[in-house]
Amino acid sequence: MISEIEVKNLNFYYTGGVQILKNINMTVYKSQVTALIGPSGCGKTTLLRCFNRMHDLYAGNRYDGEIIFQGTNILSKDTDLIELRSKIGMVFQKPTPFPMSIFENIAYGLKLRGIKNRGELKSRVEKALQDAALWEEVKDKLNTNAFGLSGGQQQRLCIARALAVEPEIILFDEPTSALDPISTGKIEELIISLKGRLTIIIVTHNMQQAARISDWTGFMMLGELIEYDKTDKIFTVPSNKLTEDYITGRFG
Amino acid sequence: MILKKRKIVSSIALFICFLTACWGIFWLTFIIIDVLRHGITAINPELFLKDPAPPGEAGGGLRNAFIGHLLITVFATLIGVPVGVLGGTFLAEYGRKYNISKVISTLADIMVSVPAIIIGAFIYAIIVKPLGHFSGWAGAVALGIIMIPTVLRTTENMLSLIPWTLREAAFALGAPYYKVIIQVVYRGAATGILTGIILAIARVTGEAAPLLFTAFNNNYFSLDMSQPIASLTVTIFQYAMGPYEEWHAQAWGAALMITVFILLATITGRLLIKRRYKD
Repeated sequence: MISEIEVKNLNFYYTGGVQILKNINMTVYKSQVTALIGPSGCGKTTLLRCFNRMHDLYAGNRYDGEIIFQGTNILSKDTDLIELRSKIGMVFQKPTPFPMSIFENIAYGLKLRGIKNRGELKSRVEKALQDAALWEEVKDKLNTNAFGLSGGQQQRLCIARALAVEPEIILFDEPTSALDPISTGKIEELIISLKGRLTIIIVTHNMQQAARISDWTGFMMLGELIEYDKTDKIFTVPSNKLTEDYITGRFG
Repeated sequence: MILKKRKIVSSIALFICFLTACWGIFWLTFIIIDVLRHGITAINPELFLKDPAPPGEAGGGLRNAFIGHLLITVFATLIGVPVGVLGGTFLAEYGRKYNISKVISTLADIMVSVPAIIIGAFIYAIIVKPLGHFSGWAGAVALGIIMIPTVLRTTENMLSLIPWTLREAAFALGAPYYKVIIQVVYRGAATGILTGIILAIARVTGEAAPLLFTAFNNNYFSLDMSQPIASLTVTIFQYAMGPYEEWHAQAWGAALMITVFILLATITGRLLIKRRYKD
């Protein structure tokens, strides 16, 4: 198993010095699905947003420690955030289509990379939509407003948009919590189908979801990574009492 | 018993509200009908195609004032809108974290209600006086300044309505901030900002006081913005005060045209807002 990301002694503080993440150490493996679970407010989304430095958008946040990706510490001041975010994509809790057509939504990231050739744009948009299992549903209305799609379709559009730029990693922040069971099922299938092609880190509230789709699972509580292991082991023979209590539904 | 009393009080309050609304609407319709009644007879092709005839003579039109007004308004828009939109963008985006942004917002709110004549006097002092003469440019700058706070605050508000998650999604694709703003945020807020611009134009179109101090007036046709230039509002002021029947009629005609323009602009603005919230 090849490591993709090494998190070393990561601490994270919000404005005013409130510590949200406490000494996180973990290895994210290449081409695997890693799930982060834990009760609300445990810091799993905060951890996820460290990987593409989303916290930098807001003043007063502070990282401490290292996240090594492709041989460099991405928390360093010299990191080119634009380059980092083109390698590490993200899909959010609520679908976030841009106020433009379906085609333009997917082409947006490609254009940011300087791809202007109409033919290339077209073929890559089609490929991304096919990878996101959305092509058949939207191929006849690529020029209509993306807001016209259903919530589940919008979320798959956002996944297609992230896939289009061929990132190494995609971060999923509770991607199905705003969707119905059928749409959720489709997105889970999609994530499983992407396994092996790219690395996926997913935050989820739904433990069954983590068990269904992930290879590795991290259980977090109060800003600490309590246990991190193969998903099979976490859900069958967890080594920590807290993990066991959580997955058996005794709290959270 | 107590319920019955409440019902009576409620219907009295409702009745008073109804009366005051009627009172307001009565005067509004009265003014519009009066402008329409007097103005409509003065509307003829000559009003738009001919320049003023010498005082007392029949015929002539207000071509100079229509064109002058158009020029001043267009240049005012070119001056006021970019500053307003970019300033509003700064407040809602880059300047979010600075306290100075809140100060500017509040000042802009105060500026919205500053009497236009004060802006006119200000421009008189800083442009007209040093140059030694009135000019179309001074008029355009005065109206442009009046537009800035309205456009600025609308832009700021409309941008703030765009959810942060949308910006985050664009950032997550590796977009630099300026592209996030121009390509994603502006697109989401376009109708709202456009509405603000239209309403700001409608507002300055009806201003006479700031132009009296700046563009002054010109009885002849002129396209030279560096010289005094005619405008509809100042012409209305001058003609309505003048002694000739012809002048009065033409002032009514000009008043009607301005009213119609403002009405159309406002309705367009409202329709845009309505469409925005339907989407």
